[in-house]
Amino acid sequence: MTSRIPGADEFTSRPMPREELLAQISPSLPLHQIADDHEQVDALTYEVVRHRLWAITQEMGETLRRMSGSHVVTESNDFNFSICDELGEQVQVGTYNIGLIGSMDLAITWTLRNRSDNPGIAEGDMFLCNDPWIGGGLHQNDAAILAPIFHDGKLFGWTTAIAHQVDLGGPRPGSFSPSAQDVFGEAVPTPPMKVVRGGVLQRDIADAWVRRSRLPHLVGLDLRAKIAANKNAGDQILRLITKYGADTVKAVMRRMMNDAERRLRAKLANLPDGTWTAVGYQEQSGTGDRNLHAIKVAMTKEGEKLVFDFRGTTGQTGIINCPYPGLRAGIVFTMLPLLAGDIPWAAGGLMRCFEIVTDEDTITNASFPAAVGKGPFGPAWGAGNLVAEVLARMLDAEPDHRTDVQSICNGTTDLCVVSGVDVRGGASKRFVSPIFDVMAGGYGAQVHHDGVDTGGRLIIPSARAPDVEMTEYLYPLVALWRREQTDSGGPGRQRGGMSGSVCYVQHPDQSGRMSLVVSGNGKVANQNVGLAGGYPGNSQLDLVVRGIDGPQLADVASIPAGLDELGGQVEVLPAEGESDLGPGDALYLHWQAGGGYGDPLLREEDSVGEDVRQARVSAEAARDVYGVVVAEDGEVDADATAATRVRLRQRRATDAGVTGLSTEEISVADLSEARRLDDNLAVVDSTVVCVHCSTRIGPLEGGAFFDSLARRETAPTEAGPHIWHDPSEYVDAEIVFRQLLCPGCLTAVNSRVVPVDHPLPHDDYRAWN
Amino acid sequence: MPYALGIDVGGTFTDAVASDGAGRIVSAKTPTTPPNREVGVMKAIEDLAAELGIGVGELLSQTDYIAHGTTASINALVQGEVADVGLIATKGHRDAIYIMNAEGRTLGRSAHEIQDTLRQRKPAPLIPKYRALEVTERVDYTGDVLVPLDEDEVRRVAQTLVDQGVEAIAVCLLWSFKNPAHEQRVRQLIHEIAPELYVTLSSEVSPRIREFSRTSTTIMNAQVGPKLRTYLLPLQKQLEEGGLRGPLLVMQSEGGTITADRAPEHAITTIGSVLSGGVIGGKRLAEQLGHRNVITTDVGGTTFLAGLIVDGEPVMAPGSIVNQFPINAATIRVHTIGSGGGALASVDAGGNLRLGPQSAEAVPGPACYGNGGTRPTNTDANLVLGILSERGLLGGRKPLRMDLAREAIRVHVAEPLGLTVEEAAIAIHEVQNAQAGDLLRRAVVQAGFDPRDFVAYAFGGAGPAHCAGYCQDLGVREVVVPLGPVASAFSAYGLAASDVSLSAELSDPSAFPVDHTVLESHYARLEADLQRALDRQKVKFHDVVLEREVDLRYSMQVTELSTAVPDGTFTERTGDEVLERFEEQYERINGSGSGFREAGVQAITYRMRAKASLGFPVELPRVPRGDGEDPSEALLGQRDVCLDSQAGFVPTPVYDYSLLRAGHVLQGPAIVEVPTTVVVVPGGVTGTVDHLGNLVLRYQGGQPS
Repeated sequence: MTSRIPGADEFTSRPMPREELLAQISPSLPLHQIADDHEQVDALTYEVVRHRLWAITQEMGETLRRMSGSHVVTESNDFNFSICDELGEQVQVGTYNIGLIGSMDLAITWTLRNRSDNPGIAEGDMFLCNDPWIGGGLHQNDAAILAPIFHDGKLFGWTTAIAHQVDLGGPRPGSFSPSAQDVFGEAVPTPPMKVVRGGVLQRDIADAWVRRSRLPHLVGLDLRAKIAANKNAGDQILRLITKYGADTVKAVMRRMMNDAERRLRAKLANLPDGTWTAVGYQEQSGTGDRNLHAIKVAMTKEGEKLVFDFRGTTGQTGIINCPYPGLRAGIVFTMLPLLAGDIPWAAGGLMRCFEIVTDEDTITNASFPAAVGKGPFGPAWGAGNLVAEVLARMLDAEPDHRTDVQSICNGTTDLCVVSGVDVRGGASKRFVSPIFDVMAGGYGAQVHHDGVDTGGRLIIPSARAPDVEMTEYLYPLVALWRREQTDSGGPGRQRGGMSGSVCYVQHPDQSGRMSLVVSGNGKVANQNVGLAGGYPGNSQLDLVVRGIDGPQLADVASIPAGLDELGGQVEVLPAEGESDLGPGDALYLHWQAGGGYGDPLLREEDSVGEDVRQARVSAEAARDVYGVVVAEDGEVDADATAATRVRLRQRRATDAGVTGLSTEEISVADLSEARRLDDNLAVVDSTVVCVHCSTRIGPLEGGAFFDSLARRETAPTEAGPHIWHDPSEYVDAEIVFRQLLCPGCLTAVNSRVVPVDHPLPHDDYRAWN
Repeated sequence: MPYALGIDVGGTFTDAVASDGAGRIVSAKTPTTPPNREVGVMKAIEDLAAELGIGVGELLSQTDYIAHGTTASINALVQGEVADVGLIATKGHRDAIYIMNAEGRTLGRSAHEIQDTLRQRKPAPLIPKYRALEVTERVDYTGDVLVPLDEDEVRRVAQTLVDQGVEAIAVCLLWSFKNPAHEQRVRQLIHEIAPELYVTLSSEVSPRIREFSRTSTTIMNAQVGPKLRTYLLPLQKQLEEGGLRGPLLVMQSEGGTITADRAPEHAITTIGSVLSGGVIGGKRLAEQLGHRNVITTDVGGTTFLAGLIVDGEPVMAPGSIVNQFPINAATIRVHTIGSGGGALASVDAGGNLRLGPQSAEAVPGPACYGNGGTRPTNTDANLVLGILSERGLLGGRKPLRMDLAREAIRVHVAEPLGLTVEEAAIAIHEVQNAQAGDLLRRAVVQAGFDPRDFVAYAFGGAGPAHCAGYCQDLGVREVVVPLGPVASAFSAYGLAASDVSLSAELSDPSAFPVDHTVLESHYARLEADLQRALDRQKVKFHDVVLEREVDLRYSMQVTELSTAVPDGTFTERTGDEVLERFEEQYERINGSGSGFREAGVQAITYRMRAKASLGFPVELPRVPRGDGEDPSEALLGQRDVCLDSQAGFVPTPVYDYSLLRAGHVLQGPAIVEVPTTVVVVPGGVTGTVDHLGNLVLRYQGGQPS
């Protein structure tokens, strides 16, 4: 909160103690509150009201999806909604984009502090907000409607509905500008304004809102959808109050949050205490940049509480910034699915269980007027990936929670906004749309399961990609292919879920050039990391192929099945930048898969054989990465496999400078009494040992054993054919495939593609409860 | 005397109903006999004949038609016991069925499940990738051929699949619903290699935009088609040899019928046949009772099913989801939650009482059945509350074990929540009612209607015990519980009473309104399709009614709204008229002012329905009138029953349904025992027996709003 624009700091919102908040709300706004000890609801009423609140939120989602006109909402479910108490704590949230409710409470508290006096908050009002510093949305494209609920003249609570809008103005179609110097080069952030007054949509405000957009009709339709969803929910909550009384409903709301908090704290209490660290990167801060920008987290878990410490993260720069609400949302959208899948999402209660420590003016806590259009899928998501990683390592060390361990899913979106004028059939229609096929990201592998192939998004549990036919109907494109990409899933004992690729050309009746705005990370320093020695999923890759052999499919007898059959010149699209697509070109997007879990040399050979038969892994990668030899007929050659796996271990040993590797069958000692840290490591008498060969690696205390692991650094492609071969295309830093290995049997315990100066992990497992 | 037969082959029982069209209806119930289900069907027909006092041959020779529904296909899909199918797809797009639009993890899952993100996986693929192959060809969004079909490649691909031993091939090419020529040619080429092979084309089984759900539908059709063929054809032969006069018709999910010899080709349209039977039965009952708007509720052991009848017609849906895969086949919309009589009650880690969706299934069943079940169910709660009697259901062969029911509730619900066993039981009962009430309310409100304009019907084993409770918050005018001869075979009654309803559709996404000549040509094509389909039914039809509709949406929306298109000739005004209807309907559902014509309106799918009566009045007979309102001649006795947490256990009269007469009035609290269920009449509710023997429940002092 150190903006160089005087007055800008008023437009920020941070969690604050209840008393402090109450003191800042105008006394002219009566609040419905119940006494702190008022949790006296019988079990039966509690159940009935709780079920009803749940049903109401479900209905909000259905209303929004049914009414919205925006492709983002209808085809990709990039929206959410919540029911909150009078001070904005969220009692029930939806299962759509969880990031979008991650800081909704902050938007409400800001509104209470700054709108209760003037223009006032009254019955029938609704507020519209898309200011990422205030909360609700994570960037200007996320537009929220906050609707107070009044009963008996008092503010009883709030409902909220929020959705991503494809375009809200700014210099570039899609409101996302890779060359923005600051927020003034992006869409305008709008603090909460009263768009509905006394139940009436304010036409002047609504017009000002849609006027900024290149797609005013869609924005107008979405505005009405969100208002209707809130109206519907508010009416139903009032009906509930009429029947059960306001105090009872409020008591149920409070108990739902307390219950969620209690359950999450109980779960935390059962997990080991310690500090886990992770570092990840944003590649390029904007058009022309060639640097990596680090986000750092150290998560400390003690007793029933989590602290996420982001100090040391890069200072704000370029367009890869998010304000504080975005960082908080990044934690929430990872924590809810990973830690609270079995706890009702009374998010207000869950959010009480963690604290954030951060420097000011960083890429994950940016001050005004930093460019923040990329906030959600850049730094917020990047921070979320790191949170997922440290949570998984903590969970892996507690046997009851190993089923909750998941390697990192696709580490961000692969944004490509296409715009132009559709002239098919003699029409002339402006269009702007991101390519949504990229929603089909791979899920990370789990301890007992492969990752889900083209499974969607962790942070949007109900994510969706459109049918190719819908895309071709709406936009003047033809998809040469859309498929699951063989070898894309992170290799591991459990394989990461595959991602896909799509390749578009212009429709034969289309002419002229379309403009492209691209933004995507994970092109060199993989974000979809594996755990316990599992390898990362594929590098994200976006290309324009210029001057292909069969432009717009004219007079072709065959359809290209891959990049090698397209002809033409490949132009690699940067992490952040702009390009265009001409009639003779093809656009290729290959988004991110999930990371693997465990060492791929330990994967069951029959599973690898089946992967090859089902086109999930190529025979070459099976041999070179998994060490499994699959014959032409699809059968695994057991002898050749055993020999290949030994050879691959020897190669690791040579690279790591380890001598004396035994070629004997690896024997596993009885470690049944030992405490397991993950797939490979266990603790015996405060010493970390390898569960595969019983080698004593080093002391547990302070993470000292990491220094005793063998270390191998090779070219990135050593991790597999799915890793990009030429990092210098994007960044100046030297990039390596780094493996930390058991010095005895050379089993990988940590495998990642990182800049050469990437720090060694230092996980400090302090105590088990 | 002519007869119409309805036969419902369920997972456990085969139910059958025969009507003579002159007021006599008999029913039969026999165990289903997999894998040779035709044995059970023949047994059920024998039982019907015996009830009627005639021979089987005599019955069949006088039967105008048999309407048949079976759960065999849906069960085969659910359990994965299906034919080995190969897929032929457009080059570059085979993976549509694997990518599943990234929604495969969550399709058809409840929000509670979706929230448990780490445990949601895609279903096993419908077919392995090595049986899903591609051919070179490309058609665009207007139906123009961009790349011609590579016929040599098709021959090679087909041969590869045949060599792999597939039992059927599904063909789904991009945009084939705009131009089916390539798909049709692929079938010809396959049949050159394997003339008898079962081949399904997506352009025939599901001519609708969106390749994922179209492919999914086509594959599933190919998976169940061959087996339906091997079941139906022998059954048909056996019936014909037995002297069956009319056709064997198979009920479709959309409530119409299809002849047995054509059903295998369109197998996927028949999977909801039994579910739809109940709604159709409700529709017929509604006609007799003069109800226009009805919510039908059918509560079985594992599921709670709800259907809507609006203005005399069942509310339809364009598709459904099975095993997380979408099926594009029009169906009577049936809302489901997993809280039937056998739904398990439990307390989660946070101390919340949960009911369902897990069920005790048929085995072990509720704890009180004494078959080894130890976890409490709805049924156990009802026993503890006195709603059910320890001696079991009337005519039931088995007593119920109160000790086991109490123990299960004590361990799993009462102690964790700090309640007495009785309090826990009433909590379970009320949560069941609340969940069911939520489902019903959402079903009605989301369709854009006010529950206060509806009456509710309740049938199935567990419906009548709860209906007064779950309908109370809904605001319906009254609740009707059928108690007559078909009470225990209501779905089979619906089958016997069904009309023929067929639909044809075509997708042509475009801005709306379109020119009236376009409307004219689309509906002319659909009408010709329907006429051919009707001709194939082999029955005489009465009163064929054609209805047109078009699915519209505001530009870019994902959900369309089916909008009626007026009858008669098309004029330049027709398009605008339809548009006005669409907006009116849209605002009814979403609230006034929610429409936004400026966004533009698009048409996606045009549809036409033919409704034809079989001309056979399958009506419930009248029951005799009693001497007045006093039902005491039907009184069996009384027991202590708890129907309300405030009132506690109250001595409650128990009546025998078979002795109730039209005009009798029961003042709640009261219980009526029926062979397959009990009906609960809570305090504050009056039950009146109507002229058809139904018990009609009304809330005294009107409804809470």
